[in-house]
Amino acid sequence: MKNSVVIKGNKYGIIVMLDKDIPFDELLSDITSKFKESSKFFGKASMAITFEGRQLTSDEERQILDIISDNSDIEIMCVVDNDKRREEMFKEKVEQRVNDIADNSGQFYKGTLRSGQVLECESSVVILGDVNPGAKIISTGNVVVLGALKGIVYAGITGDASSFVVALEMNPVQIRIGDVIARCSDNKSRFKKNKPETKIAFVEEDNIYIEPLSKDVLNDLHF
Amino acid sequence: MSEVIVVTSGKGGVGKTTTTANVGTGLAMLNKKVVLIDTDIGLRNLDLVLGLENRIVYNLVDVVEGNCRPKQAMIKDKRYSNLYLLPSAQTRDKSSVTPDQMKALTDELRKEFDYIILDCPAGIEQGFQNAIAGADRALLVTTPEVSAIRDADRIIGLLEANETKKRADLIVNRIRMDMVKKGDMMTIEDVQDILAIDLIGAVPDDENIVISTNQGEPLVGSDNLAGQAYMNICRRIVGEEVPFLDLNGKKGVISKLTGLFRKN
Repeated sequence: MKNSVVIKGNKYGIIVMLDKDIPFDELLSDITSKFKESSKFFGKASMAITFEGRQLTSDEERQILDIISDNSDIEIMCVVDNDKRREEMFKEKVEQRVNDIADNSGQFYKGTLRSGQVLECESSVVILGDVNPGAKIISTGNVVVLGALKGIVYAGITGDASSFVVALEMNPVQIRIGDVIARCSDNKSRFKKNKPETKIAFVEEDNIYIEPLSKDVLNDLHF
Repeated sequence: MSEVIVVTSGKGGVGKTTTTANVGTGLAMLNKKVVLIDTDIGLRNLDLVLGLENRIVYNLVDVVEGNCRPKQAMIKDKRYSNLYLLPSAQTRDKSSVTPDQMKALTDELRKEFDYIILDCPAGIEQGFQNAIAGADRALLVTTPEVSAIRDADRIIGLLEANETKKRADLIVNRIRMDMVKKGDMMTIEDVQDILAIDLIGAVPDDENIVISTNQGEPLVGSDNLAGQAYMNICRRIVGEEVPFLDLNGKKGVISKLTGLFRKN
């Protein structure tokens, strides 16, 4: 028997090298015998598989996978594609995601946001000043106001419900986190102030909760 | 050195024109040469508050369009010879004047006057843009009401966004201490808390203002609280340090003393 099928292992799984010249039917029977032989060696294992050496259609790939599972106890977790372009696309996506997480840092804005002003941020944002009634902050991440929050705030605008809002004085007219939206109560007097207290707003079970900023609340935060 | 001051508010009816008339007259009483410009084209009324309506021949639009010289359009006040009024046109609208023309006009008037005070129209459109174009600083008039404060806040934002970064000082107008005490009206501190700009004066709600406005005689400098409050604003504008009035009305020595202790 020619070595039309070679199995190599690495730490994630196995690479099956296929001869690219022999007819597919012949290849299938070679694979069958190869895996029958080595089934004892692999035993009951879960692994990823990569095909090399031959361009396979998805139909052919499925036939090979069927043969492998019929003739051994190997459980194929996934087929790792070897296509260069796709690999790069995956790599790009993974790196982008990693960058997004690293980008959990944010921007600073110094100054008071006044009525009619809108601050839009493609990251988290820290405002060193007040957010007055009529002003609006829109952020894809978290919003921290080192001052009084009396305007409108949208955190996690792309749908991230794990975002939160912190303010030294929490009195927003409207607050939106992810897809959850809440407004201040109607019967609250608009100028009689409560004692300012640092508070945090977050989403739990599709409701926005506003609570004093304590260690317990901070420990429960996941983002 | 002359200064161009715009009196603005955003919301209408809070007392811009009354403030302009009283501050202008007060500065004239302090021996400054003052011109008041009514920039509310189409809704002329500063002349009424000053009682000068019958003297109008030319107006602001005539000056800008070159139909007359500024000297011809400016009306000398009937009480103070160093106070002038440049009235607005009644039959035109705000688009008759551009910000550049206003800036050129105020810059020309700087040569002759100590203070050029612009009475700004309500709103944030062209009339407002015209009025602020040549101004060095702003007097922001507001009343202790949420609507007036919201608009004032917007105005501060627009002034800050303007390339010249104009400084704005706050005048809280029409404050009623009896209502403040009952908790039915915002305190001056509440207003300052939201707007976060320097306070240059607080004027109590006073029926004398209605009377003086209707008679065309500014009450600045008279011995009622509102007249004193306006005079104090003028003295602060020229750079004097003036303590804020006690708006609670006349108090005995004992209550003044307890007030002192309470502060500490």
